Amino acid sequence: MHDEPPPRRCALLLAAATTPALALAGNSLVDAGRPVAVAHDTLTVTPDREWNKLGWRPGLRCDRWTLDGEALNAVTFCGAIESGRPMFREVSKHDQPLPHFSTTMLLTDVPDLVEKSYRIALGVSLMTIDSAEPAQLDGERAIRFRYTFTRQDEEVERHGEAVATIRCKKLYWISYEAPAIYYYARDLESWRRLAATARFR
Amino acid sequence: MSRLIVRLALALAAFCLPLEAVAARAVDLTLPPFVSAYQPRTAAERGIWMQADEDERQLRDSRLLIDDAALNAYVRHVLCRTVGEERCHAVRLYVLRVPAVNATTGPSGAISVWSGLLLRLRDEAELGAVLGHEFAHFEQRHTLALEHRRLGATDLTAWAALVAGGAAPLVRLIMTASTFSFSRAQESEADSLGLRFVAAAGYDPRRVAEVWARQMDEADARAAGHKQRSRRYDGVHLLSTHPTDLQRMTALRAAAATLSSGGAIEAAAYAAALRPWRAAFLADQIKLNDFGGTDYLLGQLAQDGWSEDLLFARGELYRQRGNPRDLVAAADFYRQALALDQRHAESHRGLGMALLRGGEAEAGRAELRRYLELAPAAGDAAMVRALVS
Repeated sequence: MHDEPPPRRCALLLAAATTPALALAGNSLVDAGRPVAVAHDTLTVTPDREWNKLGWRPGLRCDRWTLDGEALNAVTFCGAIESGRPMFREVSKHDQPLPHFSTTMLLTDVPDLVEKSYRIALGVSLMTIDSAEPAQLDGERAIRFRYTFTRQDEEVERHGEAVATIRCKKLYWISYEAPAIYYYARDLESWRRLAATARFR
Repeated sequence: MSRLIVRLALALAAFCLPLEAVAARAVDLTLPPFVSAYQPRTAAERGIWMQADEDERQLRDSRLLIDDAALNAYVRHVLCRTVGEERCHAVRLYVLRVPAVNATTGPSGAISVWSGLLLRLRDEAELGAVLGHEFAHFEQRHTLALEHRRLGATDLTAWAALVAGGAAPLVRLIMTASTFSFSRAQESEADSLGLRFVAAAGYDPRRVAEVWARQMDEADARAAGHKQRSRRYDGVHLLSTHPTDLQRMTALRAAAATLSSGGAIEAAAYAAALRPWRAAFLADQIKLNDFGGTDYLLGQLAQDGWSEDLLFARGELYRQRGNPRDLVAAADFYRQALALDQRHAESHRGLGMALLRGGEAEAGRAELRRYLELAPAAGDAAMVRALVS
């Protein structure tokens, strides 16, 4: 038989264990129903349900949201990426530099840029761009593309859908990714509703 | 005082380097006796085996696994020809779609070969050398020996921390250097035994060192592309698990020079086996953002002439870098590919995109219309239609 610690001690232990993690993560709740600035304040979206904003950002001009955890569903907003800049943080600038966005790119070059960035930044070994079609992002001519990828270190097949546009010589990119099994289909409509509310600031 | 200790430690660690590994020695072609189905004997070995079994289960179910029966049969055929029928059935082979130059061996006999390596090899003799090297790791039970060495070093370091006081960091450094030195010696031993397998199988042993020569040239091209210096002549690092490419090439060239020249190469058979996969492996390579290394690789693959898949890949490489001069060069490569095969839809697409991006809108749209005629159900057909309309 084990002695149970008093409730107050439990609470203190819990607080001690979780406080450093919370301070490091800096995750926050995103309320439904009001516009929220994302992608380094270059876009706003108006969610119709609660989302979680992750403290860790994949790039200086990017934000990442999730419903159930980054590994299960993740939405990424990147905005106003200038010519000569990568989409994400460099992981090994010396040995494996990320590709850079260029103002001379066509919209059809963006999926290639994303694929090259993923292969380096995420260690993706398998990736296919499954489809690409014209779309609109707040009235701007855009490209919507769907893709499938598998990271070498986890071997989970993920699907993704992204909308990208080039506006005033800067790249804007929002995407949704989730495991191909169950989660992608389940949350696809939530992401599409969210993406439809995207507005330039 | 601390500086003196560091100098002393580095001197001792340098003493641990396997200098004999790069010395040229005459090669004895007699293969060692083979004992199959080794069973782990100690608790540590049983633990290693259990982990190896789990790793192999993951490898078998990996999404990266290329399950093409013909390609797998060919790689196994080369392994069996290299090491002999009796030996080759003791291991399992896994071909993985990973665009990096690597092959691995588990302690219980799971050998993986990565697609980036297959793309770079030129013939069966070179593949035999790689497989012979990996098999040598298995046959010599290198993983077990290295693990025993690590455990011994850890024990000694722990005891030193207890009884040696201030000298403990020095002991730890020496033990660490010694373990990595041991790993490099194992690699050299596997190179040596791999060369013996290749020679005994009747393949040309002089091909083996060329794999490393090209690796260094590609690394130089990659470094130049990234505006970095060549590391070809860098010495071996204290914590390197492998000798440098230059050391390996030098040792293999010297050892092969003691053998009779000639032997089978089987370049045509190798090219035929890789043909169904080469375009896919090239596409993976193009996406690595390694312009210098990839351009060098394409040039090497085109030594016997530029085929349509190599020209298309080069067009993609230049178009995706996208400088104005690159777009002109890319358009030229796509046109050369189309001269060899007018119905290569992807080359029409690439040419159209390069022309559009280079400002030749009407000519670009014409190429994209041709792409849509040839590939109306392509995944990006809707987007391309929007570009041409």
